[in-house]
Amino acid sequence: MSHIHIPDGIIPLYIWLPGYIVTFTIIYFVVKRSSNEQIKRVLPFTGIAAALMLIGMSVPLIIIPVHISLAVLTGILIGPKMAFLVVFVVSMILAMFGHGGITIVGLNTLVIGSEVFIGAMLFKGLAKKNLIIGTCVATVIALIVSMSMMVGIIGTYAGFAEVLPHEATEHADEEHLDEEEHDDLHLTEAISEINYLAFSGWVALIIIVVAGIGLETLITVLIIRYFYKVRPDLIETVHGFTM
Amino acid sequence: MHIAEIDNLSLNGDSILHKAGTVSKVVLTVLILISMIISKDLYRLTGLISIVLVLFVVGKIPIVQIGHLALYPALFSVFFAVLSAQQGWISGIVVIFKAVGAALTMLLLITTTPYVDVFSVFSLFMPGLIVDIFLMTYRSFFIIADKVHNLMTSIRLKGGYKPWQLLLNFKTIASMLGTLIIQSFEMSERMYRIYELRGYTGRIPIRTDLKPASQTDYWLCLAGMIILTGTVIPWKI
Repeated sequence: MSHIHIPDGIIPLYIWLPGYIVTFTIIYFVVKRSSNEQIKRVLPFTGIAAALMLIGMSVPLIIIPVHISLAVLTGILIGPKMAFLVVFVVSMILAMFGHGGITIVGLNTLVIGSEVFIGAMLFKGLAKKNLIIGTCVATVIALIVSMSMMVGIIGTYAGFAEVLPHEATEHADEEHLDEEEHDDLHLTEAISEINYLAFSGWVALIIIVVAGIGLETLITVLIIRYFYKVRPDLIETVHGFTM
Repeated sequence: MHIAEIDNLSLNGDSILHKAGTVSKVVLTVLILISMIISKDLYRLTGLISIVLVLFVVGKIPIVQIGHLALYPALFSVFFAVLSAQQGWISGIVVIFKAVGAALTMLLLITTTPYVDVFSVFSLFMPGLIVDIFLMTYRSFFIIADKVHNLMTSIRLKGGYKPWQLLLNFKTIASMLGTLIIQSFEMSERMYRIYELRGYTGRIPIRTDLKPASQTDYWLCLAGMIILTGTVIPWKI
């Protein structure tokens, strides 16, 4: 759900370059610490998990102005380390097709990577006791953290109004105002212009965010439940527990 | 996603750009991208976009067929354009032009170069594991997209999709995705066994296109350098 769609040439170098540096540092350690045997076994399924994420992230949900990412699901199925690599690959492929800029790939990997890591780690700790509740809590917390990161990154540079779901917002012409005054007014104005179903303003924004998180969580829980019924060995091998 | 369409254009295209070496095309793309990112005035950006459009013509790429993909970044840049428009409407247009120009440049590369060749250039500076994941993802995408299409058809034929019954549809879609993942997992296990039989050691051997550069390759690199220089130097008209 959390994916920065900013095109190239908008975010300055001092923001996107550190994103790439941190991402490549993490990738370096993940690759260094993965054994060849482990890579050999997981690699074919890693490609499939990445393709599923790619499909999930490129199809907008018509009923809510967001898209699902299946990032937590990927983290649960292949483990957080390999899933981080998958997130980088998916972000890069999406950027090649104009879905977010090439310069934003590092930042996007960190945002979605945090979702993957937190989701998989919480699942490992919580799903032992109750699979459904564990998956639910892990997904919701992971989504909230990654969305906060996304809001922080975009909001710091461009103002928090730019983080709002774009499909639901309409901008009006603006007059010249001093910067701080303008930012506050811009945010208030942008929120008031959000319309979703019969609601508008803050209520519509909260409904969109809650519905987005709810839908991604519901899909993740249903898939994990189905998966656990049919092939429990897959999840147990990755997370090292039996129910 | 139009991946199949782009794949078709890059593999079956027959132009000077399609025949040029991958490294030179990547160099040209990177230099044009840098030029787009550092450009701050409308004239330079208009010039750069015009050059990219001319390259589309040279590459015999039907811009009408894939041009709409550049509209996606344009849509997202509109909001930043509104923000920049405080300094005048030209600043707003500059933001949109930068986004569209960068997207068109990337589209030029992927429509004139097959994905395996693009990924093989990545292997020059990225870990082999990442390049392998790129290849596996691209291959799996088509297999899964095909499976999704078949599953959707059988769900509709068997009455599994009922309009206005949201919960039932969610359950069906989740089961479909679950089946899809399990089928894909089993397919990946088969793939792993086949790879092992063929001598797979944890690395897919792909050869980087480092054949001797042709005259076209030199021209493309030179064009890239001229474009970047032209963007950097101050023009006094």
